[in-house]
This record gives sequence, C-alpha cells and structure tokens, in this order.
Amino acid sequence: MKISRRNFLKGSATTLFLAGFNFPVLANTTKKKNLVIIMLRGGMDGLCAVPIIDDKNFEKRRKDLILDKTIKLNSDFALHPKLKNFHNLWLNNLGAIVHATNIPYTKRSHFDGQNLMETGGHIPYAIKTGWLGRGMKLAELKGDGLALALPMPLLLRGIPSNDNFYPSKKKLPRTELLQLLKSIYADKSEHDLANMMEIIANRSMMSGGGTSMSRKNSSLALKAGLELKKINGPRVAVFEVDGFDTHAAQGGVNGSHSDSLIEMDSIFKSLEKGLGSEIENTLVLTLTEFGRTIEQNGGRGTEHGYGSAIFMAGGLLKQSQVYSDWPGLKKKELFEGRDLNSTIDARSIYASAMSTVFEIDFKRIQKEVFWGDDLQNLSDKLFKV
Amino acid sequence: MKNFYRKVAFGLGPKDKVPSDPLEWATSQLNDIPEFSWKGKILPEKALRNYYRDYVYGDRKVLRKKFKNDKDGYKREKNKLRHVTGQKFWWNLELCIRHSEALKSETPVLAKLWYFWGNHFAISEKDFLAQYTTGAYQREVIRANMNQTFEKMVQEATVAWTMIHHLDNNDNVGPKSQEAQWAKEKGRKVGVNENHARELLELHTVSPECGYTQEDVIQMAYVMSGWRPNWGKKRLETGDVHFNGEYHQPGSKRILGKKYKSGRKSLSAVITDLVNHPSCREFIAMKLCRYFITDNPTKEMMEPIIKAWEKSDGFLPDVHKAALEVAFNYSEKYNKFQNPENWLLIMSKMSDVELIPTPKLMDLYTLGLKPTHEQRSLEYLLRELGHHPYLARQPNGWSDISEDWMSPELLIRRLVYAKEAYYKKNRKSQTNEFYEEMVEKNYDNPNEILKTINQQGDLSNRHVILFNLPETLKS
Repeated sequence: MKISRRNFLKGSATTLFLAGFNFPVLANTTKKKNLVIIMLRGGMDGLCAVPIIDDKNFEKRRKDLILDKTIKLNSDFALHPKLKNFHNLWLNNLGAIVHATNIPYTKRSHFDGQNLMETGGHIPYAIKTGWLGRGMKLAELKGDGLALALPMPLLLRGIPSNDNFYPSKKKLPRTELLQLLKSIYADKSEHDLANMMEIIANRSMMSGGGTSMSRKNSSLALKAGLELKKINGPRVAVFEVDGFDTHAAQGGVNGSHSDSLIEMDSIFKSLEKGLGSEIENTLVLTLTEFGRTIEQNGGRGTEHGYGSAIFMAGGLLKQSQVYSDWPGLKKKELFEGRDLNSTIDARSIYASAMSTVFEIDFKRIQKEVFWGDDLQNLSDKLFKV
Repeated sequence: MKNFYRKVAFGLGPKDKVPSDPLEWATSQLNDIPEFSWKGKILPEKALRNYYRDYVYGDRKVLRKKFKNDKDGYKREKNKLRHVTGQKFWWNLELCIRHSEALKSETPVLAKLWYFWGNHFAISEKDFLAQYTTGAYQREVIRANMNQTFEKMVQEATVAWTMIHHLDNNDNVGPKSQEAQWAKEKGRKVGVNENHARELLELHTVSPECGYTQEDVIQMAYVMSGWRPNWGKKRLETGDVHFNGEYHQPGSKRILGKKYKSGRKSLSAVITDLVNHPSCREFIAMKLCRYFITDNPTKEMMEPIIKAWEKSDGFLPDVHKAALEVAFNYSEKYNKFQNPENWLLIMSKMSDVELIPTPKLMDLYTLGLKPTHEQRSLEYLLRELGHHPYLARQPNGWSDISEDWMSPELLIRRLVYAKEAYYKKNRKSQTNEFYEEMVEKNYDNPNEILKTINQQGDLSNRHVILFNLPETLKS
C-alpha cells in the first residue's frame, strides 16, 4: 500500500473563491446535461468492488474473500474482475471512483440507512423528500426526472411530475382510448391527470416499435439512455439494484456480491449504448447506505459496515482516477475497530455533481438541499465544470 | 352524494340495496367487530411467527454455515426453506382475509377504517415481516381494538411483537442499564435506539405539532428500553415481547414536562398521557379527514371529530361515527383520490370482479410447495399496482396525498389491470344492462357517465374508461 493521506481530496480555496462569484459562463451553456443515480441497496462492499492492493491487514482479515485476477487500476487499487464495462469506461477516461466515503450514518441499519441515503438527512424518517428531488426543485427541473422503478423512489420526492418506467407485462389500451381519457381529464380540469395521460399516450406510441418491455436493469438502462439522449427528454434518471446484503456466501469472483455488481455494471453498459455520444454530457453516480465489515464472518460473508465507495461514469468526469483520503486498514484506523472509515461525506460528491450538472452555485445546493451542512465543493476536482 | 358509498366504503355491489339512509348505513357498521367473513383457514399471529422463527433460524444458523462456499447450493436450499415455512403463501392468505372484509362482509365501512388504522400503525417493509406476521398483527392488534378506545389500540400496538421488531426496540438498551454494564465489560457497545420512541410520538400519537424536543425522544426511548422479545437460542428474536428490567434505563424520566418513575409501568403511563394530549386528537382527526375527504383538511372538518373524541374519551366507534358524518356532509364538495388498493376494491365490488381466490383453493396449499399462480394472485396484483399494504416503504405507511400516487407508471397499471379485471368477471355481469344499473346506483351523474363510456363499442373498453374516470379515481 503506497497511498498516503497526502492524497487529500479537498475543495481548494480557489473553488470557494470562484463559487462566490456567479460567473455568467455557468448560465450560458446550451448543452443538456444529465445526472443518473444508481442506488445500490443492501450495503455495497467497496472493498470487494475496489480492493486495495498489497495490504496485509486486508488480506489477513478476508482470507477467503480475496479476489483472483483483479484488474489493476493504479498502484494502490484494483477493480473487481467482473466489472468489465466499467473498466472500459475507465480506459476511455469515462470512469472514476471515490473510495472510503459514505453518507454520515454509522448505525448499520438498512432500514434507516436507506432512508438517509435518499433524504440526505441525519435523522431517519425526519425528512420526507429526497436530496435529488430538492436539488431538481432548486434547478426548476419539474417533469425532468425519470425513475426506473415503481413506486416513485423517495430520492426523487420534492418535485412533482416525475416520470417513471417499469413496464407492466400487459398491453396498454389503444392510443385512442388514452386520448379520450386525456380529453375527459382536461374537460374536468384535472390537469395533473391530463398531464400524466399525455406522457402515457406518447409512451404507447414509442413502445409500439418493439422496444423491450423487460424489467431487467440492462433493458431499463438502454431505454433510459435513449430518453436522456433526447434534447427534450428527462435530465435525471434513477435506478435501483438490490442484493448487496451478503451475509453469507459473498464469495469471490463468482460469489453473490459479484452478481449484484454485475447488474450494476450492465447498467453502465446499456446507458452508454443508449446515450451514444451524449455520454459526454452525462454523469452517473452510485449511492449506497453503507459498506461492509472488513472481517469476513463465519458464513464467508460480511456484516454491515460504514465506509464504502462511489462509482462514477460519464464524460463530465475530469479523468479516470481513484480519489481518496485513504484512512488505512490498521485496527486503530478502522471505524469502531471494524469498518473502513469514511473520510469524505458522500453528500459532498452528490452536491458537487448536482452543482455541475444542474449548473447551480454549490453554496445554494449546500444551503437549500443540505441545510448548510459542512460539505466540500469538489466540483472542479472531480468534474468538468 | 353517491360518491359517499365509495368514499367511506367500496361503492355498492350488484346485490347491495341502495340504503335509504346512507349515513345510518355507514355508522351502524361500527359498533361491533364481527367474525371474519373469510371462510377458509385463519392462523393466529403466534403460529405465523413460529414459521418466521423457523425461517430465520434455518437461514442464519444452519444454511449460512453449511453453504459458505457454495452460492448456488445456498440459494437452492434457502428457496426450499422459504416454501417449508410458507414464505410465499401466508401473506396471500392474509390478503384474502383482508379483502373479504371489503367485498364479502356486511361491514365494508369498518374494513375501510381497518385499512386506515393498519396504515396508521404501519409495519413497513423490513426483514420478512410482511410475509409472515404483518397481516396477523393487523387482525389481532388493530382490527380487534376498533371497538375500544384509541388508548387501548396504542397500548397494544406499541408492545406488539411485529411493531417492536419493526422499529428496532430490541436494540434499545438503557445506557446505564445492567445490560449496558455487562456489554461494556465484554467490550461491546450498546445504547439507546430512538426509532420506536420517535415514531410513537411522531407517527402514532401526538405528532411533531405538539412540539416535543429531541430530549423528549431520548427520554421516551429510556422509558421504552427493556421492552423486547424474550430471546432464546432456538427462537432467536421471535419470542414474545416482555419487559426485561436488565435492559431498562434506571431513574426517573421526563417527557413533555412530566416526570415518570422507572420501571415496567412507565410506558403505559406515558401512553395514557400522550393519547390524552390535545395534539393527539387533532392529529388523528386530521388524518381521518385526509383519508376520507381531502388532502388539506380544514379546522371545521376536524372540529366535530375532536369533539366526539373529547366526549367519549377517544372511544373509537364514536370517533369513527363523527368522521363519517363529516365525510357525508362534505361529500358533495370534496372528492378524495383513492389509493390503488382501495381503487381495486371499489372496481371489484361495483362491477362484481371475482378478485379473491376461493377459501377452498387457499386451503389446498401444502407447506413445502410453491403456491400456485392463482394462490399468489392478490399479492402479485397489489405489487403490480404499486401498493402492497404490507410493504410500505417507511414507518409512516403509504401516503394519503394524491400527488404521491400521480405517476405515469402507476396510472398505467390502473389502465391495464382494469382491463384484466374485466375478464375475471362472470359472464352475467358482462352486459350493457349490468353497467347501466351499476352506474345508476353508484354515481350522481349517471347520464353523463353512460354517454361517455358508451362512445366505446367494446364493453371491456367501457369498463376501463369507467374505472379511470375522475369520478371513480376520486370519490
């Protein structure tokens, strides 16, 4: 392990200085930029996905879970060998990682943690909207959100009229019937319903051409990519991947944690395919409630932990890099003596991403979306501002 | 006015007579808790919890160890364990019992209120509670107390096993308790878990309107410390809830300015004070109005319900009657967006859809087997509609606000499942005359509605339009 704490990831004074002035260049861009969040439910194991290289503490504690044939990313970190699509992005300067990061939640309940990863708050259930929804509201992005899920995720709550797509296997009624309902709603001044029916009617026309109606994340991501690509399409998309809670048989390369990582990887691939060249104007970030213990348990799985990692993809990234203020894995360096620590509040990354994609001053996001919490502006470190 | 039948129940079915006095029809359903109308098997919560025990023990203590290097073997054996413990069956059976109260009982109004209370004291998606005990909890703790005082319902729901487990009170340990000392000696860290305490205040009784502080929440958690399942090596966390003094925070506590002694009796004493706090009745009155009448209830709507509460000491039948009277008085002016489950039941009742599998079919189920497609139909359907009553995302239950149900995919589901439902109807109800009679019986503007739906030649399309008209979506 060669990485040291000198490799800090900090908002520089320059950034703060610049952020104070609202440069017109921020408002003048005409490109449509997209933000995609992939929620990884169950607690994604950052050390399985992006293991540290040559660390005795790690190897000792995880004897049976060490992966073979990992893909070396730099002198300190490797990539899970099954993340082939992400690796391709990485090779094209379209993939990066923030390591040893998490939301400021340390109590290890999925239940509370998943609530907090979506609300961005400190007290479980105290906030009824999502940080992404609040950010979109600030950016006035009404009607620009797309959830690849049913029902609407909490993450997007806070702004009305989001779209969602999670196809039913049943056939939609004919377009004329949808148009009739739309006109009935309009006549009765049911504007929200009329609005929704308009979206549905348009969708039914689109899906006529044999587009896949599968609910697999890889199919959903292709669809989402095609929608995000459109100049008048959505600007925000949200995915869900389950199954990261691997208390048993987490396994190595073919273990159960790998299965969920592969699903995440398939989203990267399909998004890239759907977006085409618009991947250049897109930022994809993952989000999880916590990482997992370093120590393997009796069932060759891992327990709920703290620090994890964030995968980032897309052309709005500055470069391929593993960013980390690496805390180390010696016993005394671990959180409560057992978990990878989090040295960066993950919300700093999400706030910076929203600032970059929505073109809003970081300070406004910090204040209005995250209650003025102590977050760092990492926009110019991580992203093309 | 006819929207009142859909507002407080599920509309009038083909065999229902039109009541001469609608309000009397509604309020007379609330005095007693009748036997369930479901004629098949009904299991006690304790029995279902034992299946949950077998599942948790088998997975955690047996399979995880046995198959630690064999992901596929682990998956395969875990699937077997699911079926041996009825994981995919019980919640379907519970939904049969639940929906029979709406569609087949003499007391659909009581059923609609039952759903309200089940959602008020929500068990959200956690572990596998939904598959095993949530439905039974709603029967034995919620419905059984609907002819009692609100206080009794809170007292019982608070220490119900499913609720204690759901809100992590088993992890709530007084930092100065005996257990905390032992843990410290062993190098373990334990302490309060505020979840349940906070929800008792915020969601179940006084609501944040009463102005409690974070310190009140902590003090409430201290009061609740020690209420936990009786843990055992084989039953793990599935033992009955009891008060274990070793986990209880010693010393007196202070909540909303009042002092409480330490010990077993303090929780009940605090609950008594909470339910008698003015904020509690205001909160419940607001929620009842929001469920039946509008997203934004007014003070005038809430007032009679609060009065009835004060007069009767929170006796639920009286509170319910007051709420129904308000709903009746405002029925001309306000229509309430119906959540997907209530919408499904309205459609099924009015148009005679055979929604529920027969008791005979359900009782044919044998443990160890995968339930059939038919036996699993309700659970699947509710998830497809985006509203499974046992799978709320958060402890505040499913939303009562229209906006939260407005999404293209959710409305698509109503379109496609309206169509599906049409084909589940018996032939005799697939006629023009049937629809004319149903519309006459259930809507105040039958001519307008018939004119609209009759533009469609195909009867199944008429059905889809009727149940997606604003008059039906909002009642």
